[in-house]
Amino acid sequence: MSTTIVDIIDRVKTRIGVDGPATTTTVEAGHVRRFVEAIGDPNPRWTKEAPPTFLVALAPAALHLTDAEDFGKGWLNGGNRFEYLAPVVIGDQITAQSHVADVYDKAGSAGEMLFIVFDTSYTNQRGELVARLRGTLIRR
Amino acid sequence: MKVEVGQELPELVKHPTTRQLVQYAGAQGDFYEIHYDQAYARSVGLPGVILHGLLKASFLGQLVTDWVGDQGTLKSFEVSYRGIDEPARPYRCRGRVARVEGSEVELEVWGEDESGKRTTVGSATVALR
Repeated sequence: MSTTIVDIIDRVKTRIGVDGPATTTTVEAGHVRRFVEAIGDPNPRWTKEAPPTFLVALAPAALHLTDAEDFGKGWLNGGNRFEYLAPVVIGDQITAQSHVADVYDKAGSAGEMLFIVFDTSYTNQRGELVARLRGTLIRR
Repeated sequence: MKVEVGQELPELVKHPTTRQLVQYAGAQGDFYEIHYDQAYARSVGLPGVILHGLLKASFLGQLVTDWVGDQGTLKSFEVSYRGIDEPARPYRCRGRVARVEGSEVELEVWGEDESGKRTTVGSATVALR
């Protein structure tokens, strides 16, 4: 019996609410420097502080969902929403924790697409929640 | 800082290259092949390698933090990717003040390809000092 799209979607949906592994990473000066060189932002402020999107470089902001890869040909990023509660500075130790918030499918102009919504929280070495990120990845 | 609804942010034009995509892939740790392997990108129906959505978000982040300077703090930043962008084409970042409420300013931001199509749309909230 062949696996249908419905089976794949149902399998991915079982991941909703499941936490991924938490990862703790130090915000290193060299990493931030390579990141701002890559994005081409020369603001001297980034020699002390992390630029707004740097959080995604600290830890995977999405869980690797192998089951979802049975759907469609490739991934697309649908969008990102960052909420900032405290600054992230060089030397901070940031713990990132992600989980799947939602899974849904939608028919678009290019055919059926599978949407996976990930929520990640970022906490520093003092236990302060510094940022939250919601990201939507699309399989199509 | 004087801020009024409708005020435009100074635009930021980026000139991404394939080299920059590789640099960004390494710095972010996103090694999805559609950003540096032309044959792979075409095999999944793309015209060739494309910019990372989060690289475009970084460009729009720069638009906002350049404008705010030390006059405020970024509270939230949201982007939706509506279309693909290829390297070797200018990427124009623009924004305007959408709402002012006390010290809180909401910005509408977007990125345009060379035809003027908004391939990334988003918003940012800033708390002014």
